[in-house]
Amino acid sequence: MSRPRILLGVMVLAVAIFLTANRPAPAAEPAGEGPVERPISTEERDHWSYRPLIAVDVPAAGVEGRVSHPVDCFLRAAIDKKGIEPLPRAGRAVLLRRVTFDLTGLPPKPEEIREFLDDDKPDAYEALVDRLLASSAYGERWAQHWLDVARFAETDGFEHDLVRPNAWRYRDWVIDALNRDLPFDEFARQQIAGDLLYPGDPQAAVATGFLLCGPDMPDLNLQEERRHVVLNEMTATVGSVFLAMQMGCAQCHDHKYDPIRQHDFYRLRAFFEPADIFRDHPVPSAAELAARQTAEAAVDPAFKLAEERRRELEATGRNQFRDKNPDVQPAIKELLAELSADERADHADLVKRLKSAPKLPALPLGRVLSEGKPHAAHLYLRGDFRQLGPGVEAGVPRVLLTSSTLTGDSDEPPRARLARWLTSPDNPLTARVIVNRLWQWHFGAALSTNPSDFGVMGVEPSHPELLDWLARRFMADGWSLKKMHRLLVTSEAYCAASTPRDREWTAAQTEAGKRAWQRLQTIDPANRLLWHRQPLRLDGEAIRDAILAVGDRLSPRRGGPGIRPPLPPEVTATLLKDQWSVSGDEEDHRRRGIYLFVRRNLRFPIFDVFDRPDTNASCAVRHESTTALQSLTLLNSEFSLRAARQLAGAVVRSHPGHPRAQIEAAYLRAFGRPSTADEVRAAEEFLDSQSKRVRAQSREAIELALPEGVASDDPSALAALVDLCLTLFNANEFIYLD
Amino acid sequence: MRRGPLQINNPLDRRGFLQHAGGGLGAIALASLLQSDGLLHAAAHANPPRPLAPQPSHRVARARRVIYLFMHGGPSHVDLFDPKPELVRHAGEPLPDSVGAVMTRRKVAHNPLLAPVMPFRPRGNSGLEISDFLPHLAELADELCVLRGCHGDSVNHPQSVYQMNTGSILMGRPSLGSWVSYGLGTQNDSLPAFVVLPDPGGGLKGGPSAWGNGYLPATFQGTTFRSGAAPVVDLAPQSAIGAGQQAGMLDYLRSMNHRHSIERGSASQLQARIEAYELAFRMQSAAPAAVDLSDETPETMALYGIGEKDTDEFGRRCLLARRLAERGVRFVQLYSGDTNGWDAHNDVAQNHGLYCRRTDKPIAGLLTDLRRRGLLDDTLVIWGGEFGRMPMSEQGKGRDHNPWGYSVWLAGAKVRGGFAHGATDPFGLRAAEGKVHVHDLHATILHLLGLDHESLTYLHNGRDERLTDVAGRVVTEVLA
Repeated sequence: MSRPRILLGVMVLAVAIFLTANRPAPAAEPAGEGPVERPISTEERDHWSYRPLIAVDVPAAGVEGRVSHPVDCFLRAAIDKKGIEPLPRAGRAVLLRRVTFDLTGLPPKPEEIREFLDDDKPDAYEALVDRLLASSAYGERWAQHWLDVARFAETDGFEHDLVRPNAWRYRDWVIDALNRDLPFDEFARQQIAGDLLYPGDPQAAVATGFLLCGPDMPDLNLQEERRHVVLNEMTATVGSVFLAMQMGCAQCHDHKYDPIRQHDFYRLRAFFEPADIFRDHPVPSAAELAARQTAEAAVDPAFKLAEERRRELEATGRNQFRDKNPDVQPAIKELLAELSADERADHADLVKRLKSAPKLPALPLGRVLSEGKPHAAHLYLRGDFRQLGPGVEAGVPRVLLTSSTLTGDSDEPPRARLARWLTSPDNPLTARVIVNRLWQWHFGAALSTNPSDFGVMGVEPSHPELLDWLARRFMADGWSLKKMHRLLVTSEAYCAASTPRDREWTAAQTEAGKRAWQRLQTIDPANRLLWHRQPLRLDGEAIRDAILAVGDRLSPRRGGPGIRPPLPPEVTATLLKDQWSVSGDEEDHRRRGIYLFVRRNLRFPIFDVFDRPDTNASCAVRHESTTALQSLTLLNSEFSLRAARQLAGAVVRSHPGHPRAQIEAAYLRAFGRPSTADEVRAAEEFLDSQSKRVRAQSREAIELALPEGVASDDPSALAALVDLCLTLFNANEFIYLD
Repeated sequence: MRRGPLQINNPLDRRGFLQHAGGGLGAIALASLLQSDGLLHAAAHANPPRPLAPQPSHRVARARRVIYLFMHGGPSHVDLFDPKPELVRHAGEPLPDSVGAVMTRRKVAHNPLLAPVMPFRPRGNSGLEISDFLPHLAELADELCVLRGCHGDSVNHPQSVYQMNTGSILMGRPSLGSWVSYGLGTQNDSLPAFVVLPDPGGGLKGGPSAWGNGYLPATFQGTTFRSGAAPVVDLAPQSAIGAGQQAGMLDYLRSMNHRHSIERGSASQLQARIEAYELAFRMQSAAPAAVDLSDETPETMALYGIGEKDTDEFGRRCLLARRLAERGVRFVQLYSGDTNGWDAHNDVAQNHGLYCRRTDKPIAGLLTDLRRRGLLDDTLVIWGGEFGRMPMSEQGKGRDHNPWGYSVWLAGAKVRGGFAHGATDPFGLRAAEGKVHVHDLHATILHLLGLDHESLTYLHNGRDERLTDVAGRVVTEVLA
């Protein structure tokens, strides 16, 4: 940013201190004693992430124009300076597995592998990418990335960890939005204020579930404190997810390093202050609403009065009960016991009368935000809900204010205006933040490696011009996520080898690759310049889904409330009673990981050991630990053995009586590539020695470890094949993507 | 502003990997050194990552390991470790107005005071007072260092369970055991560093987050063990798979992974995964051996109350704790109490009678056994709940939650035995002297382990996070 523009910015700031919501705010209480708000300095404002996006041209196309993809042109500019050459493009089998897992979270199917390896058309890879992006598996995969940052779960957490029966609608909304390529600006706006921007559109309202995904303690002693904690959490999350600003650090005091004052935090919170957050709201479609209204109109008004009176009585009983037992949710019997004898008789009579009332079609409920009563907004001293500070009005972080910040439809409620501002061209952060995340999800590491903290404690982007170019390109492409995916995964940087050799390379390529690898390892071992592709470990969801998929057992069912597959009793023993009631239909247990029930107090075991975040806060980067418990899970669990039996069954059925073809098929399914002669020989030797070991087992034991759906005339050989499949699931090649 | 190696958050970046995998302070220091020397690449290959490798402590440690006895539900200090003559004198009367407003969970502020349910007596040479609820522990009074001025911030169970375990009343922060594993690593190569022995009744208020790793890597989370032949989920192969069969698979896997790794320049994360299988294999025999009590003498079993109806279950877990500590597990946490546990709202005599009967003899047995084996000098034993209980009555004979003042005791690790530090007010309502906030307790525990609570940090979302947040004072008075 040039100096005169900074000056201009400062002058504008002097005039427009903060965004004022045009709706008259309720009279603030007399300003309490509070911290003095320090101005934002020019130096603070000049931090890289707050500057406007720079318009840069794609650099000249690498050394002598050998690269044409814009992403590569940026990367090559830096690589060329070192006088080095990146690793060549990976072979087709590697590319297919890489991009299929990346875009869909699933392994390529055997027929897809054959088809792609045989496809000589020059645009075969691009066609593959388009096919993957068009599959519904894409949304099911990428939704999990978003749900990580959205700290999505289907329970409250804390002691009772109560189920949020309608939380799944938000998960389905995210999947659906991604699959129909809802532009990201719209995706963001609806999550902030879909209810206000599209009144009457149930899906837009469901999107606001984002704000309510965090943990909550409904039975907290003081409901005032509960609301304070939830609103602060919501505010902090919006800051880190969309702006990569750690607003949460400023709830007790000014941010220690970044230009986020405590006032900024509570001004951002003020947008959410009027929200009605502690109950689910109806989210009917137009047809459902009409049906309900018609039915209601036909009901005798006497029934309506009776129903009202019944609810009133129950509410009285509930309140009295909870005064005495705040820890307990009263059963109907218990709350009735609180009423007088007359009231109880009245209640019984009403219930009897209401039995003959016509049943109204129930409206679906959603865990969504709704605008409630206007609510005075304050700063809270030291973040303590008991220490009311001065009143504040809704406003965006001052460091991001520009001259046009205040424009916009003046009749709109503040939260809707926040949504519009977030995705307006005035705000450089939203686009920068999301393209940086997309880069991370594709490449394993983001260009700026603290994707939710672009402040001074974060790391500056390794390729700042590329980041800004991508952000502008993203906006110019109508904020289309699919277009950005396609751009990134078709770059040479994405397609480069991750290893010093590739099975499909010629001898000359292999020699060149080896030399380049050795040289580059010493020049840039950390791969900051992106001269090779980083190998990635699959996450727990992809591992589980892949284990099911390679044995043809993954269910294609989609959507609806979270599924609870059976768990070992020692796992559920740590929970309260009935907190993991198993879903009835066995096929549901084999649905994709994204559809499994997300309980805050119990991470699904295989996801847990593979570093799934705990959903208590937005997670930008998953850890990648390597532990013995992971090995035990993959090696010993009933799930693994079952899946190995299914994979073995599938390959025996497809190649009956041909052990070698079975080995080849198992390799192809598990590793997504043909096996080598050496590997087949080693596998045959294993089967031979392993079937001898199997014979030491009892007949009953062997029966329990045979391929499924196959008649067995040589049980020990077949059991050894199951062991081969189980070993493949445990192989590094299964867990890592080249 | 600080710009250390911890800012590198890319999990596959070698520096980042070394940091995550190396975990402890030693590795961080090493990474920082190497980064500045430009030698990181070579080192990353020379030292395959060992997340739980023993790490040097900040200062000389008094304790090398911890056994934390967590009495879930909130044991009553005024009935166990904190004698209050005034409470006897004013039983039946309400708290005087001079006490001011009291925040309680169940609106008991104006209820009549309830005298201690069991009498207190001076015990041992020290004369430390302990009530008749705990006859066995009372004989070991000279080992105990009772912190009578403890206090926390919430009247709710889960928040207080979280605070006692993680320092924060919010869900999802790293637990004390995780911080200790992160700071010190493990002393064994076949068992986890942090083992939790939950109450078989289940239903801890707050759930497994109480021993979670929060934002620390998963390597540092508590691993739950239960009694019986298979203490860890999926520890043993499915019954259909014989031991020889599994060994065959592991051999085959090793050769497959070895070839795969060589083809990829022996990348450190691939090597780490090969090692993880070796550890898993060792754990398969080490963990069942650790929980197999058959090599204990009848005398030892009797010491813990194993074989007696009331004490058998908790006794077994106490003995298991000693066996794990002996085998180098850094942090063992035992929970006593199911969903309700020590939560004596209705009847202290009945509730605490039951839970004291279950735990008194096993805990005394544990201390005695640790002492005679020479383990107590460098093992820190902690006893406490998520809070204490109110001096006022609830429903006549019960007591409500009290986070404003309560007792926690320490033993071993050369803390001052037969000693009470701090005091509550005359009624036992609020900590009054020698106050020890949960942050101070944590700072003290880390100090005893040779860790400085202000230096044990982890950069998360742009902030150097600590177990003790921005507070914490080492209670030096407890150091002998």
